[in-house]
Amino acid sequence: MKFSALLLLLLSVNVSAIATDTESAMLWLEQLSKSLRQLNFTTSFVVVKNNHAEPYHWLHGISEDNQELEIFSRLNGPRRDILRQGDIISYIEPEQEPYSIISNNVKSPIPTILRGDISAIEENYRFISVGRSRVLGRVAQLVRIVAKDKYRYSYWLWLDKQTGLLLKMAILTRQGLLLEQIQFTHLEVSEKLSENLVQLQSSELPAVIKLNNQQKNKTFSWQVDWLPQGFAMIKSNQHQLNNYHQGDDKAVEFMLFSDGLVEISVYVSSSQETFRAPEYASDGATMIFNHIIQGIEVGVVGAIPLATAKKIAESIVAVTKVKVINNTQGVIREQ
Amino acid sequence: MSEIKSESISSLVDNYSPSTDGSVSANLVDNMLKDEHLSSTWQTYHLIGDVLRDEVPQSLQLDLSKTISAAIALEATILSPNSSTQVFVQQDAKGNGSSSADNVHLPASSTVKNTHSVIDAISRFKTKVSSFVKPMGQVAIAASAAALMIVGVQNNVAENSFSVTPSQVVQTMPLIGYANPVSFSLQSPQGESNQQSQKILNEQLAAERAAQQRRLHALLKDHNQQVKLGSNIK
Repeated sequence: MKFSALLLLLLSVNVSAIATDTESAMLWLEQLSKSLRQLNFTTSFVVVKNNHAEPYHWLHGISEDNQELEIFSRLNGPRRDILRQGDIISYIEPEQEPYSIISNNVKSPIPTILRGDISAIEENYRFISVGRSRVLGRVAQLVRIVAKDKYRYSYWLWLDKQTGLLLKMAILTRQGLLLEQIQFTHLEVSEKLSENLVQLQSSELPAVIKLNNQQKNKTFSWQVDWLPQGFAMIKSNQHQLNNYHQGDDKAVEFMLFSDGLVEISVYVSSSQETFRAPEYASDGATMIFNHIIQGIEVGVVGAIPLATAKKIAESIVAVTKVKVINNTQGVIREQ
Repeated sequence: MSEIKSESISSLVDNYSPSTDGSVSANLVDNMLKDEHLSSTWQTYHLIGDVLRDEVPQSLQLDLSKTISAAIALEATILSPNSSTQVFVQQDAKGNGSSSADNVHLPASSTVKNTHSVIDAISRFKTKVSSFVKPMGQVAIAASAAALMIVGVQNNVAENSFSVTPSQVVQTMPLIGYANPVSFSLQSPQGESNQQSQKILNEQLAAERAAQQRRLHALLKDHNQQVKLGSNIK
């Protein structure tokens, strides 16, 4: 009796506290976004997933002509670098020739939305400022980005109280299971541009490749009938899926969806087999799901729970002539 | 006489011996144990003291000793009277191999046996329990070991068939023909031909798994690539 009364009291206190928590969390995230765009910093971090750690260097700075310069560099194994001069992003990878694209989205272990407008994902995620702790020898503020539904993961961010920069990030399931984390091991904020970035500023990046994402004339034969709330199509195309096996490449219909924080790829192709049981693997938080049902092979990849991937894969339907999918800006029905 | 006695009991309760040498109080205690009236006085004084010190428990157990002895008596009747000797014999037979703690325990309980009925009942109860607990414990340990093995095997199978370790995912070349978990659980003493077919089956499974790895790996790689290119907004 006493206990339940106490619980009620606590709850009522919490309800009033949540509003202020969210507000302060928003302020923290805005500060993070600003710091990630405007500060000169040199950091190292380690991505930990599946009992496996990958170390990175990350340098960021602003040149005299107000251009953002950035270097991501994976330190273990073959070189995998991302260089950035303003809008030009270059990927240097072992599998292919270096190339550049023009984009405002750097595909690094750090989610792009953190340097953008965080309120874009407000509809599907709740922001909660939780409390202080000590990370990387600094005072850190813990801010949680909590999914509002069960179809996505939650993100915990530890932000430096002084600069607002990221000190640690964790991706967790709804049940609180840790899937992936990024731990910063070094952070240095400076007035001046670091030497590497000065070099980058004067170096010439690989040639920019032209992309034709919008294949407007193509009609698609499959569409996704169900997606979690808030996912919208970014692009769709038909391309060859390299299977790394002699002559096994096959054409797939590809769709990319995003809710602002998480990207989901959907691959559809017809198969000679009529049925193959679902198979899946996870790379940290990224779920890779694949199955064949009634001669249609569907693959779903993204940082989403298995149940979500399965549900998306099962929702693939043939496009009827009436509902021709809009390629440029996909309108996805939601249930 | 009785007044003097109750007075001395009172001082005893207050932890103060009525006479300077301990003999009188020892005598008093003996008397008290024999005399029911005196022992009830002893109880009452204690209760009064508790009330004065405000140490009375919520529910007042006025006579705890009676309920305890009643409970003991009740427990003693549950046990079969002759089993204790049998248990001892059994334990003696096993005693050589078993732990030294058991051996120490044995003579003590057998000497106590005939001296006092209540103690005998308790010790019998203990041995009874221990004779039950021992095999139960062994079974429990065996069962938990078996459970661990099952969990381990399941984990093994699950890990190998579903989750792909990052090195495998990240590697460009697919892995072919690595150790198969099925061979561990099924390599029981069976016929040669059976093992042969098992081997073929294993190879098929390995090939299937490699193909699966390749498929999932291809998806992941393409996803990463597409995400990079997909953000090409300008």
